[in-house]
Amino acid sequence: MSGDPAAAALAAVRAVAIRAAVAERLESPSGEAILRSVVDAAAVLIRAEAASIALFDPQAGKLVFRVAAGEHGQGVIGLSVEPGEGVVGYVYSSGQPLAIGETTVDPRFRRDAAERTGYVPRSLLAVPLADEAGTIGVLEVLDRRDGAPFDLGDLEAAAVFARQATVALRATRLERDTAGLLRSALTIVAGADGAGSGLTDDDIDTLVSAASAELHDASHEASPDVGIWMLADAIARARAAAPEQLGLVSDILEALARRAETRPGRYRRTGRQ
Amino acid sequence: MNVERVEPAPAPPMLPAWSDAFTGDRRGRLNRVRPFGHLDRGAAFGGVDGSGMTVAVIDSGVERDHPAIGRRLVRSVRVELTGEEADIVEDDGTDVVGHGTAAAGIVHGIAPGADLVSIRVLGPDNRGKGLAFLAALDWAIDEGVSVVNLSLSSKSEALFADFHAMADRAYFANVLLVSAANNVPGPSYPSLFAAVVSVAAHDISDPLVWFYNPAPPVEFGAYGVNVDVAWRGGRTTVTGNSFAAPHIAGVATLIRARHPGISPFETKAILAATANESDVAQPGNAGNR
Repeated sequence: MSGDPAAAALAAVRAVAIRAAVAERLESPSGEAILRSVVDAAAVLIRAEAASIALFDPQAGKLVFRVAAGEHGQGVIGLSVEPGEGVVGYVYSSGQPLAIGETTVDPRFRRDAAERTGYVPRSLLAVPLADEAGTIGVLEVLDRRDGAPFDLGDLEAAAVFARQATVALRATRLERDTAGLLRSALTIVAGADGAGSGLTDDDIDTLVSAASAELHDASHEASPDVGIWMLADAIARARAAAPEQLGLVSDILEALARRAETRPGRYRRTGRQ
Repeated sequence: MNVERVEPAPAPPMLPAWSDAFTGDRRGRLNRVRPFGHLDRGAAFGGVDGSGMTVAVIDSGVERDHPAIGRRLVRSVRVELTGEEADIVEDDGTDVVGHGTAAAGIVHGIAPGADLVSIRVLGPDNRGKGLAFLAALDWAIDEGVSVVNLSLSSKSEALFADFHAMADRAYFANVLLVSAANNVPGPSYPSLFAAVVSVAAHDISDPLVWFYNPAPPVEFGAYGVNVDVAWRGGRTTVTGNSFAAPHIAGVATLIRARHPGISPFETKAILAATANESDVAQPGNAGNR
C-alpha cells in the first residue's frame, strides 16, 4: 500500500489532526487555559499581587483583558483599552517591555482606573506577547508583594512567560489553520489528479472524519515529538489545579527545561511501548 | 518509552536577537583592550551643552510644557496613516502616554542646550505601525536632525529591508540613530543594524555611567532601572531599555556638539572609548578612569 495516495493522505491527515485535537483540547472548555496558567505562574514566581494578559482583538481594534491571576487582578477581565492608550497600550504598540512605579499624575486617572478595575496598583510591569510575526498582546504584572519596585530580573522573568504564552497561542492558532489547510490541499490534489487518484470530495470527507474518529484517543497519548506539546500537555494537566499551586509551576518549568534540552534537535519515539 | 537521539535539525541562523541587561557579574564579560587607550571625557564632550544640535524623539509625543523639557521642544509632528500612505502633520505638543516625555526629559537633562523635536508615532490612530515608524525616520533625516532617539522597534520581518535601507540612509546623511534594544527574544528593527547605536539597561543610578559591549548587537548599556523620569502630567519611576537609550542619545548629542561634522561611526567610537570600565560599581562615579 506504500504507493496508495489515499493511505498516504490518511496518514498525513491523522498526523495533522492529532495536533489539531491537542490544540483544541487546550482551548476547551474555557478557551483560555494556557493563558491562565501563564498568568498564575507569573504572579507566583514574580511574587506579585496580580497578573493579567490582554490580547489584541482585530475586530474590535482593541486590547481586551482575557485572563487574570490574584484576587486583586480579577476586576480587569473583559476590560479593553486602545492599542495606544496607557502603559499597556504603549507596550503593545512599541514592543518595548517596561516597568513603572507610582506615578504622580492627575488623580483623575487613578480614580478612573479604580472605578474600572477595583484595584489601583502602586507599580506595574508590562511585556509584549511578541514573535517574528508580530505582537499579539501584553502580559501585565501588578505590585510586588514585598512592596519593592520591579527590577530587571522581574522584567526578564515576565518576558519568558510572555514568550511561552505567545508560542502556545501561535501553536493553537496555527494547528487549527493547518487542519483547514490540509483539507484544502487534499481537495486541490484530488482536482489536479483528475480520475487518477480516485479521491472524490466524499473520499476526502471520509478521510478527514475517519481520522477525526481516532483523534481523541490518539491525542491523549503522549506524543512528545516536539517540545511545545510537552509544555502544552503540562499546562493542560494543570488546568484543574488551584491557581497558585506550586505543582503547576514545577510542571511548567519541567516541561520548559526539557524543551530547552531538546531544542537543537528532536527526539522521536521508536516504538509504541 | 524508547527514545533515541536523532540528527539535529539544521540550526536556525544565529539571530543576534536580544541582549541581557548590563547587570552585576554580566559586566565582567565586557572587558577588552581599548584600541584608543584612555580617551578623556572632557576632550570628548566637555564644555558643551548640546547647543546647535537637534534631537528628534520618535515616540508617544512630548508634553511641551513639562518642566523637564525646559522649553526646548521646538516642534511637534505626528504621523497620520491613510491606508499605505503616511503623512506628517503638525501636532499639538502633547503626549498620549508619558513615554516620549520621559525620553525627551532624559535627553534634555544631559544636553540642555539641544533643541527637541517630537515625532509621534504611537496613539489610538496608528498603533505604532512599522510604516508610521519608517515615515517618522524618513522625515527626521530630511529635517537634518543630529540625533534620533528611538525607544521603540518593529519585529516585522516584512519591513526588514525597508528599515535596513532607512538606517543606512540615516548613516550616510550623518544622522545618528540611537535605538533601545528589545529584550524580548527575536529580531527587532532597526536596533540590530550596525548603522544604529543600540542600547540596553544597567542598574547603576547615574545618567553618566555607560558601558560598551564588545560583543554586539547591543553595544551600549546605560542607566535604565528605576529611573526617575518626567511623565505625562508629572513624574514617575520606570525601568526598561527604552529609558537607557535616551541617556546615550544625550551624550552622543554632546559629542556631536563638541565636534561639529563628526560622523555616526566616529561618534560611536568616542562613546565606546569614553565608556566606563566594567568594574565601576559606585553610583555617582561619573568618571571612567
